[in-house]
Amino acid sequence: MRCKTIEKWLSDRIDGELSERKIKSLQAHLERCPSCRSYAAALEKIQDEARSIERLEVSPSFWEEFTSRLRSDLSSKKQEKRLERPLVKRWRWAGASAALTLLIVVGLYFLLFFEKPVPEMYVFSYEDSLAQIYREIGRDPELETLFNLVVLASIGESLEGAGWQDSAGFQESSLLWENLSEEELKLIESEIKKEEKIEEESHEG
Amino acid sequence: MKGSMADRSDDHLVDLAKQGDVEAFAELARRCQERIFYSIFALTKNHQDASDLTQEALMQAFKSLKTFKQRSSFNTWVYRIAVNLTLNFLKKGKRDGARQVLDESLSWAEAKEDASPSPEGSSLKKELSRKLREAVDSLPLPYRASFVLVVFQGMTHNQAARVLGCSENTVSWRMHKARKILQASLNPYLEGR
Repeated sequence: MRCKTIEKWLSDRIDGELSERKIKSLQAHLERCPSCRSYAAALEKIQDEARSIERLEVSPSFWEEFTSRLRSDLSSKKQEKRLERPLVKRWRWAGASAALTLLIVVGLYFLLFFEKPVPEMYVFSYEDSLAQIYREIGRDPELETLFNLVVLASIGESLEGAGWQDSAGFQESSLLWENLSEEELKLIESEIKKEEKIEEESHEG
Repeated sequence: MKGSMADRSDDHLVDLAKQGDVEAFAELARRCQERIFYSIFALTKNHQDASDLTQEALMQAFKSLKTFKQRSSFNTWVYRIAVNLTLNFLKKGKRDGARQVLDESLSWAEAKEDASPSPEGSSLKKELSRKLREAVDSLPLPYRASFVLVVFQGMTHNQAARVLGCSENTVSWRMHKARKILQASLNPYLEGR
């Protein structure tokens, strides 16, 4: 058994924290180790001395004064709590009212001064993608023609899906034209012109 | 009123104090204030600081009584508040821990009646007693706190650990270290006895 372990056990034994099994091993070690016996004796002396010196005598008047001060502080604290409570409640109500008023003011402000944008109705929602494709096509007329044809076909498909072709004169319907974007109208216009030109040329031919 | 309070258990008094009963709390305080004061005094060595810190600990306990879940005893809980306050107080260096101020209401009791009637023996004992006080005062704070609670207050390692907020094993090691330091510094005086 190492003496360092024994020194720790000696401290635990003084505090009554050493198990019976360890006490037996400790005793066996102490019987054959004078150094640990000497250390054990020193710790016992320190313990006895420490217990005898720490006896502070306090006069009864000290405790009377202490208790009186404590009672006074406790009563003040209780009084403080009583006064605080309604105040805290009032502040809570004031805070809640202020928050509600602010909410109403902000709500009215937005309601009156910020018109909600009316969502546009698109028959086709390709505007962004069309612009992107146009940029990619660049100045290639062949690709442009092809693309226009694809767009027209898709318009046709959409109309077909909606059953517009079945109703006579669907082109005259204001809903069709009003819901088309400028870009789409221009595209259709250019295509009509192209067709007219082709027809004129064929007549001339 | 006071008599009826004195008959009640700590738990009952805690319940009453939680409802704002000052008398109930004062009775709880009366039951533990002396031990707390002595422990704080052993750490601060200043009666005014010990008195103020004991009052502060009890007031803090009163204010935060609603948060006390009663998982430990009221004594342990207040003790813990008091020791934490004291350790913080000493760490902040608000007072030189080794300075000792006593007034007429406090005085160190003479050491136990000396078994040896000889003047030489008495003188040696007084010298050892003085040196031991100095040695305990100069222990590092964590060791000193453990030593005060276990030796001066007679707490078990488990009780001291609860108060200090550490493990029993830590208390055990601190006690061992504290004793090693004390033994080293007091060795010449111990041999002379």
